[in-house]
Amino acid sequence: MATGYEQWLDMATKQMKGKSPDTLNWKAPEGITVKPMYFEDDIKNLESFSMFPGMAPYTRGPMATMYAGRPWTIRQYAGFSTAKASNEFYRKNLAAGQKGLSVAFSLSTHRGYDSDNPRVAGDIGKAGVAIDSIEDMKILFDGIPLDEMTVSMTMNGAVIPILAMWIGAAEEQGVKQEQLQGTIQNDILKEYLTRNTYIYPPEHSMRIVSDIMAYSSKHMPKYNTISISGYHIMEAGADSVLQAAFTLADGVEYVRAAIRSGMDVDTFAPRLSFFFGVGMNFFMEIAMLRAARFLWYKLMQQFNPKKAQSSMLRTHVQTSGWSLTEQDPYNNIIRTTIEAMSAALGGTQSLHTNSFDEAVCLPTEFSARIARNTQIIIQEESQICRVADPLGGSYYVEWLTNQIVAGAEKIINEIEEMGGMSKAIASGMPKLRIEESAARRQARIDQGKDVIVGVNKYRLKDEKLDFEILEVPDSVRLEQIDRINHIKKTRDNAKCQACLEAVTKAAASNGNLLEVAIAAAKARATVGEISDAMEKVFGRFVATTQCVSGAYSSEYSETSSSSAQVIEGLRKRTNDFMAKTGRRPRILVTKMGQDGHDRGIKVVASSYADLGFDVDISPMFQTPEEAAKMAIENDVHIVGASSLAAGHKTLVPELIQNLNKQGAGEIMVVAGGVIPPSDYQFLYDNGCKGIYGPGTPITESAGKVMDMLEEKYCK
Amino acid sequence: MHKNPSYYIQGVLDNNRLMLARTITLVESILPTHQEIAKHVINELLPHTGKAVRLGITGVPGAGKSTFIESFGTMLTTLGHKVAVLAIDPSSTRSGGSILGDKTRMERLAVNDMAFIRPSPSGGSLGGVARKTRETMLICEAAGFDVIIVETVGVGQSETTVASMVDFFLVLQIAGAGDELQGIKKGVLEVADAIVVNKADGDNVNRAKLAKRQYETALHLVTPSSPNWAPPVMTCSAREEVGLMDVWDTVNNHKRIMSMSGELDQKRQDQAMSWMWFLVNEGLERWFYQHPEIQKLLPTIKQRVEAGKMAPTRAADELVEILGKDLLF
Repeated sequence: MATGYEQWLDMATKQMKGKSPDTLNWKAPEGITVKPMYFEDDIKNLESFSMFPGMAPYTRGPMATMYAGRPWTIRQYAGFSTAKASNEFYRKNLAAGQKGLSVAFSLSTHRGYDSDNPRVAGDIGKAGVAIDSIEDMKILFDGIPLDEMTVSMTMNGAVIPILAMWIGAAEEQGVKQEQLQGTIQNDILKEYLTRNTYIYPPEHSMRIVSDIMAYSSKHMPKYNTISISGYHIMEAGADSVLQAAFTLADGVEYVRAAIRSGMDVDTFAPRLSFFFGVGMNFFMEIAMLRAARFLWYKLMQQFNPKKAQSSMLRTHVQTSGWSLTEQDPYNNIIRTTIEAMSAALGGTQSLHTNSFDEAVCLPTEFSARIARNTQIIIQEESQICRVADPLGGSYYVEWLTNQIVAGAEKIINEIEEMGGMSKAIASGMPKLRIEESAARRQARIDQGKDVIVGVNKYRLKDEKLDFEILEVPDSVRLEQIDRINHIKKTRDNAKCQACLEAVTKAAASNGNLLEVAIAAAKARATVGEISDAMEKVFGRFVATTQCVSGAYSSEYSETSSSSAQVIEGLRKRTNDFMAKTGRRPRILVTKMGQDGHDRGIKVVASSYADLGFDVDISPMFQTPEEAAKMAIENDVHIVGASSLAAGHKTLVPELIQNLNKQGAGEIMVVAGGVIPPSDYQFLYDNGCKGIYGPGTPITESAGKVMDMLEEKYCK
Repeated sequence: MHKNPSYYIQGVLDNNRLMLARTITLVESILPTHQEIAKHVINELLPHTGKAVRLGITGVPGAGKSTFIESFGTMLTTLGHKVAVLAIDPSSTRSGGSILGDKTRMERLAVNDMAFIRPSPSGGSLGGVARKTRETMLICEAAGFDVIIVETVGVGQSETTVASMVDFFLVLQIAGAGDELQGIKKGVLEVADAIVVNKADGDNVNRAKLAKRQYETALHLVTPSSPNWAPPVMTCSAREEVGLMDVWDTVNNHKRIMSMSGELDQKRQDQAMSWMWFLVNEGLERWFYQHPEIQKLLPTIKQRVEAGKMAPTRAADELVEILGKDLLF
């Protein structure tokens, strides 16, 4: 024991009025017990400890001088509406100090649908820019030199047509393929875990990933062919240990796929990049980034890389969108600042900071400026970039890093025993772990164990939204459709068809899909056409939805009295409802449109079942008509529609109209998710009975739903 | 809830989806007033039933039941059949609530106009699984569905209950990692009309074939329920839609053989009889538990038995005698 510890213990116990300082221990969501004080003994013989940055095992960072040499890249993720509108937005941001571009695509584009497809009528340009053809791509990068600018594209499902169009657009700008720099997300495994913007079944999608790696290693040596993403895993509710474990296990799976397809590890591994999400647990997030770098180094050694860069984890970080609140939204600026500090102290290579209004709507020019300036101020005013890994050697941070390493390694070993991440995903294990973690987190928040200022503590009485809201007009869709029609009329159709047939042929044989898709893109084939050409061979993937039960209420049963009583009270109400009406309250939770973020409905489904509801879950990507059919056939009392991608103003009213049309007007509709308060009245006017924004405790929304049901059926 | 039975009867016979759904809700209701109306409805619909193929499907979790039904049901609709799927999902014993997620795994069938899928919670202890599945099946038949698929999770006694209400009972299995038979119970083998090893695709084909042989061996040890039908073991891939037509041919073959031998009629008569006894038991149970005097005496008697002050045999006699008193008047 280090000298002085006994004395400290005495003093601490005195300050605690005789209680042991152990009573101050905090059990973090990761299952790690954090003590109130750390000292030398805690960091003896830590496996993850590393003396110098830039040297293996890279715990302290991939570069020797880190930000002292060059700060991280400020890379803001943006895109909305049409290519022209996004292009203007990008150019303004670049002029204002942003260094790289990061493109957000429309959900319709992600899922490989053209804007004229009736399935996606509510999605066009809402959560990102809609791209239907190479012409759109050329407009998107008009006046932006692609030989100089590093471009990051968040694309996983329709990755082949989009990457092909980007390469094609660059070539038509006069830029050679080998000059291209940037990153394509291309991380399909996590789509099956959380984000759900896949198109094809996993094995075919993995082949696409390998094709892109193979093509790029030959023709685009400076291009990052994949960005292995933990961000969406965190946003879906995973804690830091789960995020690190699943992301790194995904990474190992991609490495194996590439090696299987005949590539040498050193030809592609240096081009792998990562993408982590960082939330409000300040030191935990820092430790997670450090732990991830150490673990990646360790995991890569099994492939015997020769180049140092092959086991060096480089990452992009985004601050958590989930941590932002609709209530008292200016607080989000502070949250984002704290998260950005975590990312910087954790040693990220590039960073996106969220805009404060993102829990309500798409960022405006004003909110985007504040988000960008958050990073600029840290870099240029705070002087924290002067020293590489300033927290290296901190007793607490080094200890915590090692704890995350140990926790994540245990899960990774479990996945390895299952035969790797593809097999694990097929078994449903990672998804269930994430959902369980999400349900527990929701329960902690609903009970006030996890404080969120303005939501479950210090809540404002009368809140009025006083900032401007960006809304994408529905005319965007019509504009896109016009351009598709124009292209189809003016292109050489015979040539285009031949190119599309070549794509189908390559899919069926072993041809490189990216190579043939570039030709198709240049022949003016659309995103939908190229996607369909592959779908002919691959088919479209249908997700299976699993849902945990019991996790929400078990977090309650661990605590005492008052909050457990809330649960019991609601259970009594659902039981009484059955005694009076002959069955339990039955709710259908549904997601319409192409928005694949299903964390919200999973948490709602799981928690409502724990409260005694019978809960129907619809398949993903429903049209309002399909959702109405399901509500009617299952004969539910109420439908809860979740929207996080700005489609609510079309989708919710259409659902209500469909129910009315089929004589089922008595089925009530409520909505939840990211809905600007200024749209509430519009939805109420169109027949929506309740709206529950982000941060509404489950017990509160369930209580309100029961109020309505009792009023209607029990009187 | 509407009071007039003809409101439901006409709606079902018109094959109105909304009314079909509401009628199922009516029969599933636990309220005595609703059950009274439901009885009339079922009685009136009965003449319009009996022509469908009734198919029960069970399998361990992970056997791919939903995926199988998605592919199999979709295939049947392309053959011109109207398919109703009744899925039974477990209710939580703690909260009583349930998660009914079947349609997320039957995405195509859920939006297919030739199909109707209705997930039902298994409900509490009263009657347990499939309390009203028989009635629901009849309602769907009356609405014109000619293939009824009842899906159940392979836990507890649910398989035998479902087997006792269908014409053909199909047990879905998957190949294990090793050489063990994947969680199949002897009781299930006895009621199976066919075993189908699913997920015979990719690098799993050989394992599926091996599993098929093992199930064949296992079936040899069980006396078949009919002298005219030896339950076959087949392989299929619901995901790749391979082998599904063979399954359908087998179902039809079974129906032909059983009809010719008269066993199908016999089976349905037996099923009608077991349904009657099921309802008799349910009625007796309800009579017993809802009897005011029993409700009054039960707590004391229970206490005395627990404390060893009263023999369980005597307690049971005394309780049942209370019912007897009613009959004296």
